[in-house]
Amino acid sequence: MGMSECNAFLTQLDAWIDGDRPAAVDAHVRACARCRDLAQDLGAIREVARGWGAEEFEPPARVWTSLRTQLEKEGLIRDHRRGWARRWTDWLEEAMAGVPRPAMAGAYLIALVAVSIALVGPNSKQLNDSRWIESTQFSTTPLSAQLNTAEQSMVSSLSGDSVVMTSLHDNLAIVDNYIALCEKSVRDDPQNEVARDYLFGAYQQKADLLAQITERGDNSR
Amino acid sequence: MSTQPTLQAHGCVKTAGLLVAGLLLCGAASAEPDRLQRHFKVDAHPVVTIHNPNGIVTVRAWTKREVMVTANRASDQVEVLAEQTGNRVDISTRQTSSTVAPEDLRADYEISVPEDAELQIHDDSGAVKVNNVLGDMNVETVGAGVDLADTAGYLTVKTVGGGFSCLRCAGRLVVSSISGSLRLLELRSYNVQAQTSTGNILFNGEFLPNGIYRLKNYSGLIEVRFSAADSFDLSATSLKGKVNNEAQLTPPNHPGHFESRYGNSLFGTFNDGHAKVELTSFDGTINIRKRD
Repeated sequence: MGMSECNAFLTQLDAWIDGDRPAAVDAHVRACARCRDLAQDLGAIREVARGWGAEEFEPPARVWTSLRTQLEKEGLIRDHRRGWARRWTDWLEEAMAGVPRPAMAGAYLIALVAVSIALVGPNSKQLNDSRWIESTQFSTTPLSAQLNTAEQSMVSSLSGDSVVMTSLHDNLAIVDNYIALCEKSVRDDPQNEVARDYLFGAYQQKADLLAQITERGDNSR
Repeated sequence: MSTQPTLQAHGCVKTAGLLVAGLLLCGAASAEPDRLQRHFKVDAHPVVTIHNPNGIVTVRAWTKREVMVTANRASDQVEVLAEQTGNRVDISTRQTSSTVAPEDLRADYEISVPEDAELQIHDDSGAVKVNNVLGDMNVETVGAGVDLADTAGYLTVKTVGGGFSCLRCAGRLVVSSISGSLRLLELRSYNVQAQTSTGNILFNGEFLPNGIYRLKNYSGLIEVRFSAADSFDLSATSLKGKVNNEAQLTPPNHPGHFESRYGNSLFGTFNDGHAKVELTSFDGTINIRKRD
């Protein structure tokens, strides 16, 4: 097979893959293994590339933001945003006009971050709070129920009037009181790990105390 | 080797069986009415366990390689058991009838042990006092106060309502209580974990290099006294209470130092930050004071 025929085929390769296949070129491809393989490979690559194109993906928001900023800078589009956000940034720019530029940049940034947190924060915080409450309740509710059941079954053990039983009874009341206080703190601020730590610690103390009461009840029998 | 004499002076004349046991006992112990004494030869690092529902337990170290138990009973409603198994001596108080008035259950002990003895003490009410014992120690009480002096080793103390005091203790100390106050004085411990719910905590000791000191309560006062030569990283947090500080702190030296975002908090380094001090309270006050 001559090199000149192969070179001629390369110039018509795209058209051939697209389906434009004159009889002479088709005869060459059938006869020339190199050109046939090349055409098949390129055809397969195109097919795969078409599949990729079908999966549309959204460019990151920052791409649109950069584009918009660039277009605004070049005067090709204008900012048509209106409403409180635009008014607020206009007001902020006016307010910052008298402040030296580096300080303004920092203050502006801080103010924007603060407003972002103020706007986004509550929703996000509420969501997180509910998740924390849920997970805390998930771990403490069965524990609390078990401890309360154990405590109720020990009422008879606590009926003794000895100094020891009185002390155990008094301290159980102290721990119960702390459990209530800690539960309230966790409800008020579910993400507060110190309050949660204290709550779990109080449950542990109650469990220890009930174990001691049980031990003494068993020993006295 | 196992011996199980019953230290029961009043029981010596009641029955023939008891007479035999009593004779054996009286031969082994110098017995006065309600005051009983026993001696046990032991090897190095003996273990001594004491289980006493009510009374004062006093343990002192001495130079002899033996354990001496002296018991004083409030009544014959209780018996004192002392048993040696190998290098372990078990001492306990048992009531002899089911209807005993609480005051009649009382037994006081004075026990002398080698200074390397390991102690395990249970004493519900009364008091526990230990002096100069350098072995590991575990003390559990309900209402009984615990006073340790010049002790060392791994010390674990747990009380429900009893107070705790530790004078010149060394080694490692883990103490917890619900309503008892904790006093750690002239301490030379490298690791201290002290926790109480409603009690106060006073720490007046040395912060050893690389030592870790964690003090925690729910309410009440935590007071730490430091000297100008001390060197520590400090973290103090009271969720709902105050933190008062007299230490000139610099920003924390060590990254990753625990810092709480909640409540009233204080973080910083005093001198080079060789020890680590963590103070935590739920709604109590934390004072960091300069030692006089």
